[in-house]
Amino acid sequence: MTDDPRDMQRMTSDAPRRSLRIMISTGHLGTAPSGAESFAAGMATNPDYLVADGGSSDPGPVYLGDNRVLGQFVEEELELFLTASRARGIPLIIGSAGDAGSNHGVDETVRMLRAIAERHRIPRFRIGWFYSEVPADAIAARIAGGERMPGLGGFPDLTAEEARAATRIVAVAGVHPFIRLLDMGADVIVGGRCGDIAITAAPCIRAGFPEALAYHMGKMIECASLVAEPFMGKETIIGTITDDDILLTPFHPGQRVTVASAAGHSMYERETPFFERTLGGLLDMRECRYTEEGRSCRISGARFVPEDPLTVKLEGARKVGERYMGIVGVRDPHVIRNLDAAIAWCRGAVARQFGGVEHELHVHVFGRNGVLGDLEPCSGPPPHEVCLVVEGLAATDTLAHKLTDFAVRMFFLARIPGSKGSSGLAATTKETMRSSPGFVWNVNHTMRIADPMELFPVHVDDAGI
Amino acid sequence: MPKLHELAKTIRSKNAGVNQITFDVIFPDRDSYVRVRDGGALSREAVAALFRIAPERITDHVAFDLANAIKFTILRAKPSGSPGDWDILGCQAYGPLVDLDVP
Repeated sequence: MTDDPRDMQRMTSDAPRRSLRIMISTGHLGTAPSGAESFAAGMATNPDYLVADGGSSDPGPVYLGDNRVLGQFVEEELELFLTASRARGIPLIIGSAGDAGSNHGVDETVRMLRAIAERHRIPRFRIGWFYSEVPADAIAARIAGGERMPGLGGFPDLTAEEARAATRIVAVAGVHPFIRLLDMGADVIVGGRCGDIAITAAPCIRAGFPEALAYHMGKMIECASLVAEPFMGKETIIGTITDDDILLTPFHPGQRVTVASAAGHSMYERETPFFERTLGGLLDMRECRYTEEGRSCRISGARFVPEDPLTVKLEGARKVGERYMGIVGVRDPHVIRNLDAAIAWCRGAVARQFGGVEHELHVHVFGRNGVLGDLEPCSGPPPHEVCLVVEGLAATDTLAHKLTDFAVRMFFLARIPGSKGSSGLAATTKETMRSSPGFVWNVNHTMRIADPMELFPVHVDDAGI
Repeated sequence: MPKLHELAKTIRSKNAGVNQITFDVIFPDRDSYVRVRDGGALSREAVAALFRIAPERITDHVAFDLANAIKFTILRAKPSGSPGDWDILGCQAYGPLVDLDVP
């Protein structure tokens, strides 16, 4: 229980039990605008909290490594969320700010929120934020001191060398820094990297609801309307937690949360439908029970197994180099039949020309296995045309450009025995194009911690006017 | 012999962490689910053979009765978004399942 009046006991229509209602309208802040009508309909019911997940590791390592932001609508969504929540005095919680939850992502999000507050002349409120970055040297020193950091998802144990090679490392926070910031009086919270389920679970746990239900509700509404059917993105869902169960309600009139859609979502984007790990323990969903109530779905039965000692997940990205891409089309059936020879010709020429330079060259063959790569089972007859995307990486922009452009040209100049063409064996587009720098996930590990707050410093300040 | 897409209502793949891709095949009713679950079209062995990967690359394979779903997860050849990886989200890896023959 809490002395915060927002969290005090509420009455639902069917039974006099206390509850807390969490609203979410997007699974990824700023990738596209939230549906305006279901958002307004949800806000009109005065939810206790509005939450939004700012990102994840899903879009690849470049966002963490290079401090990039994927969403092109972040500012618009922040404007909607901040103005609507402040107008009703509803706390706003954002997690994994700036996609990767780096310090830069947190600072930029706080800066944008402050600017929006000033522009809209929003009365003074408390803004809180926490950071998730961990210095690579600190991790390397612990490994050098004999500590083991096991890899996740098939990664070998982390080495001190690999940790130091990372451009940036973040730790994945649990509910704890969010709860601390709420305790400190924050009305708006911008989190660094955190588990997707933490933004919803934190206010529920702070209000004294069972951890298992709190985490499970976080899991079920993390992608907003993806938990409902038919498939719609970016529409509002409100999760209601009580001491006994959770209730998921869609606010787009065309959607329902069904047993099938909720159970189906419980397995989305994770290895198993039965377990979810978070900083602090393991959510066990094996015994969950689902029942439909109108367009909503009520769920109970989740269990939470606290973890001791605590382990935190680390994510880190290492830079490979600058990157260019070129596009090549082939229509000559003879070249298509001998495509491997053309690729070998290109690779051989690149190896000779750039032998002394560290580089990577990847040739994606669309029409054969460009999408799936080594997982492609299909080896049908050669198509009448193929598209090759040449991806070249080297240490500097100039070198990567030169390398990739050369590789593209080598398809044009390839010599394939038996070909009747003598004016160029590949159609090329106008210019080799600069792409994002190449990064790899090189840290995907767990580390022991004594205190769930120790890596996540919190700050609170005034905002608005 | 029907194709998998004629029986399933959802066939999808997506990242599960940075180094795995997970596949969900969800059926609209128990009959079609049980037919595929027990018929072996999506068994661990069948999936390994389809994608031509060692069985050890399949890290999880479950029949999820509550959702009428079969779910399996494979290790990527290299982590998501590495240079040379085209499908950063792993969201097109399900392609070969769509026209799979179901005995």
